[in-house]
Amino acid sequence: MSLNFFRRVAFGLSPSDKKPDDPLPWALNQLNTVPEFLWPGSIPTEKELRKKYGEWVYGDREVLRKKFKNDKNEYKKAKDDLRLKTGERYFELNEHAIRHYQTKYSQQPVFERFWLFWGNHFAISEKDFLAEFSTGPYQREIIRPNMVKTFEDMVQSVTTSWCMIHHLDNSESVGPNSRRGLESRDTINENHARELLELHTVSPSAGYTQEDVIQLAYIMTGWGHKWSRKNLETGDVWFDQEKHQKGDKQVLGVKYKNDAKRELAKVIHDLATHPVCIEFVSTKLCRHFITDEPTSEMINPVIEAWNKSNGNLIDIHKAVIKQAFKYNDTTHKFHPPEIWLMQLSRMFDLNIPLSSDRMNYNFKSRPTNRQGQLSWILREIGHSPYRAKQPNGWSDVEADWVSPELLLRRFWFASVELPRLVKSKNQLHDFILNCLKNNFDNYESMASLIHQFRFGTTEKDLGRKFGVICNLPGVLKV
Amino acid sequence: MNCTRRNFLIGGSTTLFLSGFFPKLSFASMQKKNLIIISLRGGMDGLTAVPVIGDKRLKKLRKKLILEDVLKLNSDFGLHPKLEIFHELWQNDKAAFVHATNIPYTGRSHFDGQNLMETGAHIPYKEKTGWLGRGLLASDIVGKGLAISLPMPLLLRGVPQNNNFFPSPDFVETKLIDQIYDEFKGDHNELIKSTLDTIRQRPLSMQIATDSDNRKKLALEAAKQLKDQSGPRVAVFELDGFDTHAAQGGVDGAHADELEEVNEIVKILYENLGQAFDNTLILTLTEFGRTIKQNGGYGTEHGYGSAILMAGGLLKKSQVYTDWPGLKKKELFEGRDLNSTIDSRAVYNSAMSMCFDKDPEFLRRKVFWGDDLPDLTEELFKI
Repeated sequence: MSLNFFRRVAFGLSPSDKKPDDPLPWALNQLNTVPEFLWPGSIPTEKELRKKYGEWVYGDREVLRKKFKNDKNEYKKAKDDLRLKTGERYFELNEHAIRHYQTKYSQQPVFERFWLFWGNHFAISEKDFLAEFSTGPYQREIIRPNMVKTFEDMVQSVTTSWCMIHHLDNSESVGPNSRRGLESRDTINENHARELLELHTVSPSAGYTQEDVIQLAYIMTGWGHKWSRKNLETGDVWFDQEKHQKGDKQVLGVKYKNDAKRELAKVIHDLATHPVCIEFVSTKLCRHFITDEPTSEMINPVIEAWNKSNGNLIDIHKAVIKQAFKYNDTTHKFHPPEIWLMQLSRMFDLNIPLSSDRMNYNFKSRPTNRQGQLSWILREIGHSPYRAKQPNGWSDVEADWVSPELLLRRFWFASVELPRLVKSKNQLHDFILNCLKNNFDNYESMASLIHQFRFGTTEKDLGRKFGVICNLPGVLKV
Repeated sequence: MNCTRRNFLIGGSTTLFLSGFFPKLSFASMQKKNLIIISLRGGMDGLTAVPVIGDKRLKKLRKKLILEDVLKLNSDFGLHPKLEIFHELWQNDKAAFVHATNIPYTGRSHFDGQNLMETGAHIPYKEKTGWLGRGLLASDIVGKGLAISLPMPLLLRGVPQNNNFFPSPDFVETKLIDQIYDEFKGDHNELIKSTLDTIRQRPLSMQIATDSDNRKKLALEAAKQLKDQSGPRVAVFELDGFDTHAAQGGVDGAHADELEEVNEIVKILYENLGQAFDNTLILTLTEFGRTIKQNGGYGTEHGYGSAILMAGGLLKKSQVYTDWPGLKKKELFEGRDLNSTIDSRAVYNSAMSMCFDKDPEFLRRKVFWGDDLPDLTEELFKI
């Protein structure tokens, strides 16, 4: 087996990782439990951060806009102060630190790769202030604990989470024949229903119609945030009977009797166990871990494991890893920028993220450049994880990640920025060679490419070494 | 202005359609034609950019957003003072506006609206390619798209080999690029190899590092490349910040700041394209307009109808092209927004038709699923 398996299913081996004797069991054993977060700094809860979100939007919309309605400069200034006070500029940076600390040090890195996968499958794209306050904790508190439960459990939690509801506007959706609908003539917003079908569960290949979308939207009416004057849209999710469409509904040929809030769990059960859903999600998993165009031979064992375990994610994950192992030496997978960065960070023990002490924040001034560094790098290499442009998340195929500027950004990062992240104790050539040896079968040919710079330890020398080794075919791809 | 509905749309387009489409093969059409789109994200307020003159109702509803010193266009419409380059070009028939127009989307979500302004579709997220990308592909123009952004905008997707320009914060040594190129020689990855080819063939000016926040520099480089007869034929710029819920202001507010940026890009393009400006068409694109009435923060909320700002030598003449719906309450969309009486996709389809020398009917079918989009080429552009 090639050493690239450790990058295919994880982030490669760090200088302190012991090389597993038996890679397959090593990987499989990481999937049974949810590892704790290792980040020693602050890990605020979703609820705490939602409160900050509320303070920010209330302060801006209800207070400052009115107070400074004639003076855009004073308004901008007051708004900036409020940003600092509520951590609007800070929490996303902290979330990135929590995330990258985890992928760098976790003893269950394979689990972490699945965590990244699900966070992107149930993606929260850039909208309002979700990236600033919500997407990080959503991935920590909603996605993560469900990874040892069933897929259906995951869909249930995600669909009724504040973050997804806000992301896809379900609070805006009103059944036209509900009490509220009759009163206000409001109607449904199909957004969430459509994505629940298209992106989260059965995909368009299930052949649902516009009427199915409408009917599912009816079922979902009433699920929304509890609005209040002070919290605005940041109140908890509840079921508001007054907005719920009355009557029976029918989705994909299945009839759902008028049953108020219980309708949603029933339809999610049917969607999450639908054969087309199982095939769609299994294919996506194989695409992520094996290759852009997985074959049915690759996917079928995952589908079998899914069926056999009734959608137990532990079993499904294990089946994926077995397939990734089986096809490790005969397939290639090009990794998107963030995973590439995480791998470089782990393999070469880079100074990412910043230490938790230095991530401490005073809520008075702008976060320092150092505090913002990791997030800045992610943005510059084109992969700010909570800021996908669309609800389908970040692409998982190579074609979307290979453009002139996106490749140049990787060359830039490896040759200019990365050298500044090399710890002083790691600057010696032998250290780099050792990292290469831990992670690459062809480390000798890699070593020969940087041999001429072996005596140099300046940033420029390091840039010449890392610039090329991080962008070799076998490093950009596994 | 106290105008009622006017029918500007009758005539013209049908005759062209019936007579078939025969692009003139004059010297001018041998010259490369450039189409430049500037995306204005957040919802550009057409009534701030191109205000209607003397409408009492607008004055009443927008007490705190009143524009003084409006530049005069004609008896009915003025121009925001920050759009001075458009005013200058207007004198020479090189600027024009389409008013009371929008994509056929009334949902008022930025999120869905921006998706639809780029895909040109009716259902958010259904299409994964942009109308401009599909238009290029249908016209067999490949490898001629240039995006001034790091990700490839959805608008341009659907045609292969687009280039983008958004330089990294620091310089990448040519030697390194060559070295990586060499290492990929033995590899089977054709996509990366061809992308590395593109990188190596880029003009020297594109290899420099610059501050990508410096829009001036980016626009300058774009102008340089568009000027080149063998360079890109399409460029896409991205601007955001038009979502002015507060302190929108008049001549000097938050919306004015954004319009100033549009003005700057167009000015740089105008000054640096030289003669090529005569073979260029610049159009803006936004997801929706804004409410007529100011809100409690002296800003405006998400609306519907907006305007398209146009510049370039390929325009027929200076004009405000509109089927003005009026601003009386019953004339407004849902009683609050300027209505849209022209599907903006008709303008974009006609613009592609003119710039790519393709039958508008053909493009309408290939790019916009045969949606009912009248051909406006003769009314708006030089043909």
